[in-house]
Amino acid sequence: MIPDNQEEQRLLIAEYVLGLHRGEQAVEIERWLAEDEQAARQAAYWREHWVGAAELLEPARLPPGLWRRLARETGIAVPWWRGLWQSTPTWRFASAALLVALVLAVGPLRQPAPIYTVVLQAPGEAAQPGWRITVSDNGDLQLTPLVQQADYRADRSVQFWTLENNAKGPRSLGLVEPGRSLVIPAEQVGGVESGQLFELTLEPPGGSPEPRPTGPVLFIGRAVAL
Amino acid sequence: MDESNHELEQATVLLLACARGDGTAFQRLYRLEAPRMLALARRLTGDPGLAEEALQDTFVQVWRNATRFRPEKGSARAWLYALLRYRLINQHRRAGRDEAEALPGDDWPDPEPNPEQCSMQSDQRRAMQECLRGLQGDRRRPILMAFYHGFTYEQIAETLAVPLGTIKSRVRTGLKGLQECLRL
Repeated sequence: MIPDNQEEQRLLIAEYVLGLHRGEQAVEIERWLAEDEQAARQAAYWREHWVGAAELLEPARLPPGLWRRLARETGIAVPWWRGLWQSTPTWRFASAALLVALVLAVGPLRQPAPIYTVVLQAPGEAAQPGWRITVSDNGDLQLTPLVQQADYRADRSVQFWTLENNAKGPRSLGLVEPGRSLVIPAEQVGGVESGQLFELTLEPPGGSPEPRPTGPVLFIGRAVAL
Repeated sequence: MDESNHELEQATVLLLACARGDGTAFQRLYRLEAPRMLALARRLTGDPGLAEEALQDTFVQVWRNATRFRPEKGSARAWLYALLRYRLINQHRRAGRDEAEALPGDDWPDPEPNPEQCSMQSDQRRAMQECLRGLQGDRRRPILMAFYHGFTYEQIAETLAVPLGTIKSRVRTGLKGLQECLRL
């Protein structure tokens, strides 16, 4: 039963949001909240504040199969490479292996003290490196083609992206001309960390209309510390 | 803006994009919010399998009902946690657990004589943390058991081996203290 006393009402809302009322009692409170705007607002304030207590918990590691099950159940078709963009140590491993192969084949890199390198590969073709990225100790990034690049249609652009962390989302590093080296200054690159993801995508002329890639991934790889 | 506020705003933007059927936004929302939600679900169920199941069900519900989210009424994060908590509280009653199980805030010392003092912080989430800190331990603990474990008054009383009436009185006094401290 909903009390008439305002102070008791406020306490009832606090108890309800905390989950202390169940069954019929909870249903009655919910009905009241649906009708009383002020009471509903009070409940919303409590919920907002309780987020602070939830944030005291250390985030848990997500089980690898959970997203797949969720995507299947909701019928969401996120392109397969988005999953790779988000996780999978495959890229790190493949990048490291290819780096070793490249160093053996090309010899030590002579550019000013690179501290990170990335081998960009075509998705699903781990044995075929397409581009190499080196980040030198002054933070400048050099993107170098390793193979003859496909001749993309003139009405498309190739865009270069990085993903520092999932919370921030992908960030564009600009457009790339197929087959041509490119140096990006440290200020534009920002900090690079081990495991950071880089990719080249095929976009509409002038680049993606969104602040994230919209076209297919041409090459992708993760930063490996040297 | 600190990282946490940035994330909070990002979650709201992503949830609104979910309401427009943007699957990529849904995946990003999952990556952003699911790790801490899973931690909360594990606390509430005490069972990793049930926690995963509840998290999955909650996100299915989020995808299907994202159009019901109203940003003017609160943040996406508060909406998500409320969905998860009420789902678990209503569908699953966690068995009483050892009183000794640690809860966030357990190691906070009791406040000085002026107990439920107010925090002047405008940040609602931080304010709650500060206000919880300001509560006496015997009031704070049963409240945290209700929040993190989803316990009823009866379960709290049983777990702490304290009479039901005493627990009700402590929780209500603690909630009144929080209410004053948070200026609700």
